[in-house]
Amino acid sequence: MSILDVNKLGVIYKPAGQHVQALEDVSFSLTAGETLGIIGESGSGKTTLALALMGLLGKKEQLEGKVVYAGAELLSLEESRRHTYRWKHIAMVFQNSLEVLNPVLNVGEQVAEPLARHLDLKGRELEARVEELLYLVGLERSWKTAYPHQLSGGMRQRVLLAMALSCRPELLLVDEPTTSLDPIARREIVELLESLQREYGFSLVLISHDLACISRLTRRLLVLYGGRIVEAGLTEEIVEDPLHPYTRGLINASPNYFAFRDLWGIPGEPAGGGAAGCAFASRCVQSQEGCHAETPALQHLSPSRQVACRRGGIMTMLAASGLCKEYHLKKRTLKAVNGIDLEVKHGEVLGLVGETGSGKSTVAQILGRMVKPSAGQIIFQGKPFNGELTRREKGIQLVMQDPFASTSHRFTVEQTLREPLEINKVGGREERQERVLETLTRVQLPADDKFLNRYCFELSGGQRQRLAIARALVMKPALLLADEITSMLDPSTQANLMRLLKGLQNEEGFAMLFITHDLDLARKIADRIMVMQYGAVVEQGSSHRIFTQPCCCHTKDLLAAAFGHSH
Amino acid sequence: MFLLKISKIWQELTAFGRVGLVILLLLIFMAVAAPYITWQPHNISSGPSLKPPGGAHLLGTDELGVDLWSQICYGARVSLIVGLGTALLAGLGGAIVGTFAGYRGGWTERVLMRLIDIMIVMPDLPVMVILAAFFGSSLRNIIIVLALFSWSHPARIVRAQVLALKEQGYIKMARIYGGGDLYIIFKHLLPELIPILAVSMIRLAGMAIVTEAGLSFLGLGDPTSRSWGLIINHALNFSGIYFTPFWKWWLFYPWLFLTLLITALALLGRDLERIADPRVAKG
Repeated sequence: MSILDVNKLGVIYKPAGQHVQALEDVSFSLTAGETLGIIGESGSGKTTLALALMGLLGKKEQLEGKVVYAGAELLSLEESRRHTYRWKHIAMVFQNSLEVLNPVLNVGEQVAEPLARHLDLKGRELEARVEELLYLVGLERSWKTAYPHQLSGGMRQRVLLAMALSCRPELLLVDEPTTSLDPIARREIVELLESLQREYGFSLVLISHDLACISRLTRRLLVLYGGRIVEAGLTEEIVEDPLHPYTRGLINASPNYFAFRDLWGIPGEPAGGGAAGCAFASRCVQSQEGCHAETPALQHLSPSRQVACRRGGIMTMLAASGLCKEYHLKKRTLKAVNGIDLEVKHGEVLGLVGETGSGKSTVAQILGRMVKPSAGQIIFQGKPFNGELTRREKGIQLVMQDPFASTSHRFTVEQTLREPLEINKVGGREERQERVLETLTRVQLPADDKFLNRYCFELSGGQRQRLAIARALVMKPALLLADEITSMLDPSTQANLMRLLKGLQNEEGFAMLFITHDLDLARKIADRIMVMQYGAVVEQGSSHRIFTQPCCCHTKDLLAAAFGHSH
Repeated sequence: MFLLKISKIWQELTAFGRVGLVILLLLIFMAVAAPYITWQPHNISSGPSLKPPGGAHLLGTDELGVDLWSQICYGARVSLIVGLGTALLAGLGGAIVGTFAGYRGGWTERVLMRLIDIMIVMPDLPVMVILAAFFGSSLRNIIIVLALFSWSHPARIVRAQVLALKEQGYIKMARIYGGGDLYIIFKHLLPELIPILAVSMIRLAGMAIVTEAGLSFLGLGDPTSRSWGLIINHALNFSGIYFTPFWKWWLFYPWLFLTLLITALALLGRDLERIADPRVAKG
């Protein structure tokens, strides 16, 4: 039984004749006692949604669609009727700041105000209820007489919470309860919200940047971007396996969710709503022309998941199944890769980890077309896997472990970078030159004639590996296979190179298969992890899950060996 | 452009290399300009026999009174043609066979390698004697016979190198990028092979010159083209030459020029190897 039905809700702000579509076509429903999280970057319409549900919009703003609360359509109600729903049925905890509290009222008066107005409580009764509420949110009685400016952020949050809970609402909207709080206060607030929700059983809509808080407090999740819902589903599933590129970008940008990984934001500026086409298209790694023209509708990809993407969510770039590689030695057959299935998605970094000899490099060599698999099927972007893939742009490029072997010491820097372009006759003379210079700059190597004419043997290991990466990037790959590319470098060069590569990956959105035996490195860079042993995949999953809750014994062993403690 | 390259190579040569190059150039000059720097006929008697060096005969005369300086100048032509001809023929042939064997692998390689084994076990000189006798001893035939017996050495070296290079990452990468066999051979393999091939060819040239002298000594040389070997042969045929002072010019000067030529080739070869490999050149 749903208590809240939001149907095609749209909000248009009209500041000074402009037309800003803050929310568009937002539909969802909420049953009693259910918890719903809403995430999105600043400006994605989260707070607007909360204000619209509270009925605090509609005077200057143009509203569309319907919000049905317990059978009553709220948007078309007159202000006086609407007023009755506020606080009593739907209450909101505003984003924490000094401004949301009245500076001339003390805490007691502040909390008493909605009680007096909506429940007509007076005198003793009012006093008692105020004290009860303060006790409920964990504030000592002595703070009753304090003024807002005398409170800490955490206390202010508790006062706001007490106010919102004062009339025992059935639906509580909480806007960013934990931002600007220190870790201890944050934990206390989250625990408080959790226990209050359990105790009173109100429905909760939690708006937050804080993924840790969201995943702890909510069962379902909406991802907003440019005023539209781009993904909806169960919180746990979305966080483990996001299906919309934007959701993945948000999760990757959240330090409080998985602290070990390097932080990378979504490149580009958030787009406003209202424009034609998918709002995320300009920042999306897999956008096509059609994405800019046609607005995608929210579609079910599975019973519990909805995604608004023309291309059906994050696409699979490369899918391999039953991959085998056998080497016939004199007396026995060595199965270097023994029937593995593998999937690399658009724009993700897949970390392939495992001991030496577990078959990681063989996988890279098969995918880089250096060795032929004995068995198995590989499909790249829906097309069969053939030799042309390494020879064209938007294909597959391999960077090998040893830069001293993978680049000819007889070639100059320029010759090395031009080689793939020249063999495959990509572009004209000038275009090639331009691309060589551009790529050199991108990998932070000098792009002058002096450097172009240097021989490879004159370069240091780090420079030469960067050159090898540049050679791969000059072909503008869609999938980069990086096979232990930093294992021969010193830590500082490694750090520089990894930051560089991850930055390029983030910016250009190519997918990367990152092969390493260095778990620290994998933890820093990978979105998903595959663990290999004896030529088979023993475990795979999001980097966050593998590193915090490994299932397979071998993964546990690896982690224990690498990080010195068992999980 | 060409001159620039020459001067660049000159600058990168060591003192020994420069000496070798100068000697080689002088010997080539002697061969090419033989009619202009000699004043006596090289094939008929032009003075008293066995005349010591001096006067009209710069290096003296042989037992028939033929001027030795003229003989040596014209003989340089024969020796150089034999040396260079054999080296080029055997070097290129061997390089092609070696590259083919190493690059293709499989049964092609096995067949070619067995062939090389056969060439190695075959006793050079007796077979050469038979072949030279069979084909008739013209200069061209001698070059062909010498080349036939020398290609196996460069072929083996080249094959070994190709086998090692084939596994190099950058060659695999070039192949992944779609580089064809010819591209890989000319762009990647050949530059790597040239230095060892050059050394091998210079050794072959030296060997060919000495072998030609040996064949001439056995009377299998081209009698119409007087090589340095043939002069030595004639001198040694003069019974009891060491009891006379004649060896001091008749035997000594052809030997000296032969030695100079081979030493010059060796010195130059060593330096060229260094230059051909940019790692050694710059480091």
